[in-house]
Amino acid sequence: MKVKVYAPAFCSFDHLDDDNVMELPEGATLNDVFQRLKIPLPLRLFPIYTVNYEKAYLGTRLKDGDVVSFLTPLAGG
Amino acid sequence: MKGYTGKILFVDLSTGRITDESIPDEVYENFLSGVGLGCYVLHKRIPEGANPLGPDNVLGFVSGLLTGTGSVMTGRWMAVAKSPLTGGWGDANCGGTFSPAIKRCGYDGIFFQGISNKPVYLYVDSHKAELRDATHVWGQDAVEAENTLEEECASAGKRPKIAVIGTSGEKQSLISGICNDRGRIAARSGLGAVMGSKRLKAVVLAGNHRTKCENPELMKAISKEFTSKVKKMNIPRFLSGRLLEPAGKLLSKMKSVAVPDGIMAAGILKKWGTGFNNVMGIVNGDTPIRNWNGSVLNFTKSRYRNLGPDLLEKREVKKYSCYSCVVGCGSVCRIDDITDGNFRETHRPEYETVSAFGSLLLNGDLDSILYINELLNRAGMDSISAGHAVAFAIECFENGILTNNDTDGLELAWGDAEAIIKLVKQMINREGIGNLLADGVRVASRKIGKGSEKYALHVGGQEPGLHDSRFDPMMGVHYCADPTPGKHTIGCFQYYNYVQLWNEVSWAPKVSMYPKDKEYLASRENATKSVAISCYKQVIDGVGGCLFAMTMGVHNWNPFRMLNAATNWNKTADEYLEIGMRIQTLRQLFNVREGIDPKGNKAHPRMSGNPPLSDGPLKGKTVPIRDMVAMYWEHMGWDSETGIPTEETVAKLGLADFS
Ligand code: SF4
Repeated sequence: MKVKVYAPAFCSFDHLDDDNVMELPEGATLNDVFQRLKIPLPLRLFPIYTVNYEKAYLGTRLKDGDVVSFLTPLAGG
Repeated sequence: MKGYTGKILFVDLSTGRITDESIPDEVYENFLSGVGLGCYVLHKRIPEGANPLGPDNVLGFVSGLLTGTGSVMTGRWMAVAKSPLTGGWGDANCGGTFSPAIKRCGYDGIFFQGISNKPVYLYVDSHKAELRDATHVWGQDAVEAENTLEEECASAGKRPKIAVIGTSGEKQSLISGICNDRGRIAARSGLGAVMGSKRLKAVVLAGNHRTKCENPELMKAISKEFTSKVKKMNIPRFLSGRLLEPAGKLLSKMKSVAVPDGIMAAGILKKWGTGFNNVMGIVNGDTPIRNWNGSVLNFTKSRYRNLGPDLLEKREVKKYSCYSCVVGCGSVCRIDDITDGNFRETHRPEYETVSAFGSLLLNGDLDSILYINELLNRAGMDSISAGHAVAFAIECFENGILTNNDTDGLELAWGDAEAIIKLVKQMINREGIGNLLADGVRVASRKIGKGSEKYALHVGGQEPGLHDSRFDPMMGVHYCADPTPGKHTIGCFQYYNYVQLWNEVSWAPKVSMYPKDKEYLASRENATKSVAISCYKQVIDGVGGCLFAMTMGVHNWNPFRMLNAATNWNKTADEYLEIGMRIQTLRQLFNVREGIDPKGNKAHPRMSGNPPLSDGPLKGKTVPIRDMVAMYWEHMGWDSETGIPTEETVAKLGLADFS
């Protein structure tokens, strides 16, 4: 399945294509996305991400077409 | 009518004549409303070479095309006139509740020409428009005058909406703006001075017309979709503003840039407003320090931490939003304990104000900034320009160009909050050295001479926003290339990445992760991005859109869909961007007609890192702003040497009548 991921720049982009889409096996969880992005474990505990703009957890199961977003402050106000 | 009223009100203050004028549909289809309609009308009405402070200048208050149509985040209005600060095209933007009030009176815009022989205000409701005596409010600050006129013009419990100048506009300070909603301000371009020159104290609106939307069901669905997303965006309670400092430090170390989902920042805006960047911007290099000649090493944590958003949050007494906004980045702060007792409350100071009177002046005293914020809001003076004027004066003083004799004994020094407050009061009252500074740094440096222009940070006469072009080079391009130079709201790489225009516009370059260094190149790709975002911004300013809604991404907040729902035009995003290009080109043609040489709108050397800073996050950074501007011109279809729109471009955009 394919999931759109708006990943912060400090992540690994190896598993994302040019459209920020990640290919995942059926049944994958948000934690699988974080592993592929190489997000350090302590950071995964901060609730600064959503799936389809809803609160999500490391164990949240993903489905095809989901959108994973991270809190990223505009560096300018 | 669809989305717009098709009418403007024209007021000749010299004769007292007030007329309704119809605007043909094609004008809206080609220029939208807001900045586009404003530019269309002013081009036709202002005679070439008009004195910006004379009777021939035209001052317009223009609503957005989407305002009042059931769309969300579209409640901002534009003030337009020939700018006395730059001598060219002038515009300024403000939120609050004034934009829908224009349409409720049955007009898309209200325009003034001439000069009244005594102070007046315009009163308009659904049945009449009349000029009334304003002698009793002349001399009152913007908040006092709004209170007085609101009381005076309220009818059947309904309070009118009011745009008003403070004393700075009356005194024709070239850095004064126009206020509404008690001290919110359309600050840029010196348009308060234009209003003051016309002896027009206020515009009071009390209409009750409704604006029609062609497809209200679709509009409702679009608005609902966006609103439901925003509602879910909230910052967890335990996340303190203190975390923004390490986040900023982390950002400054990033060697690459990724595409974010902008709507995720809605929670940040709800919680801290633009103040989220007060500290983050200092540590990552976004915020200019010490008149653009310092770094965080000059303004260390013992001072910058005093400006943190949590400290402002503690003072909050209520939050508020502009009309049709579902985010609400505004709030009111209590200040009764920190001033001389004159004021109880102030709007939470925006990031721009905190930075202009904080890091730019090495001032870590937040109380002084809150106080200055209220002084400026009431006077109606632009805090961006005023902060730069103070920085200029301090640097002149430090270098012996200004002395105690010039300042009537006032010792000016970086970070001296008391002296800064005194100087601001002098600027507002046009007393002593403040009289000079009240017209901005270009005028002041020309009058002072003695090499003072070295310390005058401006582009084409207007002081730049508080976003460092060495941090985001495209910001520098638009500081120089926009027909209203110095504005920070036109375009930068961050806006481009957040908006994700490539999802809608066929020619907008797609972005995935890229090295940050690429932003420092005068490349074709960067020029195309600059064109795309600046044309898009003209669309936003034509519909009354909010900049922050824009940065939430076109996949979340889509003005093209909303425009089609409001008007049934069924235009594509590419067609709307062409309208944006038409507006941008018309603004440039106005400047060319008025004798502004686009090449003359140069960045101050510090803005392009000449010489580069020797420490801090921007250490060693230089930006080829001039080359980037030339490429922007070329990609806009303007001459790459002169910045003048080419004949082909003028013809293609249907602007032959205006050149
Ligand atoms: S986000 Fe802020 S500036 Fe934008 S419309 Fe809402 S309140 Fe106004």
